[in-house]
Amino acid sequence: MEGNFVEALKLMAVGMITVFAVLGLVIAMGNALIRFVNKYVPEDEKPAPKAAASSASAAIAPDVRAAVELAVAKITGNKGKIEKIEKI
Amino acid sequence: MEEILLKLYEMTAIGSIVEQPSFLIMYVLAFVLLYLGIKKEYEPLLLIPIAFGVLIANFPGGDMGVLAAVDKMVDGEMYHNVITLSNGEVWADAKGVPYNIYEVGLPQIAHDLGLMNFLYYMLIKTGFLPPIIFMGVGAMTDFAPMIRNLKLAFFGAAAQFGIFAVLLIGSNFFTMQEAASLAIIGGADGPTAIFTTIKLAPHLLGPIAIAAYSYMALVPVIVPLVVKLLCTEKDLKINMKEQDKLYPSSVEIKNMRVLKILFPIVTTTLVAIIVPSAVPLVGMLMFGNLIKEVGTNTSRLYDAASNSIMNAATIFLGLCVGATMTVDAFLNLQTIGIVIGGFFAFGLSIAAGILLVKLYNCFAKKKINPLIGATGLSAVPMASRVANDIALKYDSRNHVLNYCMSSNVSGVIGSAVAAGILISFLG
Repeated sequence: MEGNFVEALKLMAVGMITVFAVLGLVIAMGNALIRFVNKYVPEDEKPAPKAAASSASAAIAPDVRAAVELAVAKITGNKGKIEKIEKI
Repeated sequence: MEEILLKLYEMTAIGSIVEQPSFLIMYVLAFVLLYLGIKKEYEPLLLIPIAFGVLIANFPGGDMGVLAAVDKMVDGEMYHNVITLSNGEVWADAKGVPYNIYEVGLPQIAHDLGLMNFLYYMLIKTGFLPPIIFMGVGAMTDFAPMIRNLKLAFFGAAAQFGIFAVLLIGSNFFTMQEAASLAIIGGADGPTAIFTTIKLAPHLLGPIAIAAYSYMALVPVIVPLVVKLLCTEKDLKINMKEQDKLYPSSVEIKNMRVLKILFPIVTTTLVAIIVPSAVPLVGMLMFGNLIKEVGTNTSRLYDAASNSIMNAATIFLGLCVGATMTVDAFLNLQTIGIVIGGFFAFGLSIAAGILLVKLYNCFAKKKINPLIGATGLSAVPMASRVANDIALKYDSRNHVLNYCMSSNVSGVIGSAVAAGILISFLG
């Protein structure tokens, strides 16, 4: 059992150092990624289509929108969510 | 007539239960766990299947209990991975040579040992389900709070101290493999605990899984208890947003979407290089997260990982783990040791996170609320929610949830890395 204790002590030292080292590297890598993305992919492109979608949806008459919402709610059992309504 | 009645009596489980009343303890345990899962809503998705697994595994004649494979002397010869049937006989071929369960086909296991052993040896013993569950967890995890507050992720490492401290204590009472399986409860991560135990001490799977999930369910009790013991009111009133205003971060994030896609890829590569044995857990966690973050192009994969696959895996994992808790496997001193040791592992992990934050605060200008250290153990997102509630009690404007999520999520990676280290050294 004494041998076990010594082995456990060594494992504790190795384990804690490794866990700190790995998470330290993840943090360092995360910071490097942030700098890299800021430099080479600066624009977050997501908001643009959202704005377009909302303006497209806004063009739909309120009564039509209400009817579509009711239909979707009925068919999907209130689980469906409308993100965009477009005229085709 | 008497003979018919006797046969009827023998057909039921009543005779065996009367002969061995300890079965009743297992039924009580199953009912208590079912009560906690259904009525108290403590981790119901896992406690209910586990509890039901315990119940159905302990009806004599039902053949739903998982039979442990052990090395055993039979007729003066040593055989590996031998199964002892519920009637006390060794599972053997026509010539009386014991089967090695890993050399027997799955159809024969299903035929001779029953459905639950088939599921256990196919899904659990192979280590298949815990990584699958990690994939689902990854698909439901948002790494954005961690990316926004990267420095706080360091406290997720401190909270792994409980694992190694209990390994140290447990090594005096258990074998190293058993102590490591017990200690991993301190990671507060069910799939990680199960994965490690399967690899190191599969005979302890039932009690370790129960202890891990029970303590995770008790996070709303254990975290405030340790926080009360170690933190002052002044500590808990540290307002993270005010600290951010006083000492703003020098790095601004311009494109979180791209970062969230790159993060799982790079993290997996990094962890895989340093601790390859953690890849089944970290790799699947990050894969699940990647298919979530890619968006509409992988939405079907994301939906499968986070819903249908995750749900099916949870059912089978819960039932199989519960079914390992048969009377003989559960009612012994080792189980009591696991329950006590697991509690210490859990408590020490929370304490280590808090103490590292307090130590950091002694030297840093920008103070950190020690609750962020307390959430360094996995138990995502319950630990963060509990910590947020504690902070709001002391200051109704002090929302620490997003900060806690950083150390909380990094705790998942940390505990998987710790598991990988234990498996590498002791497996």
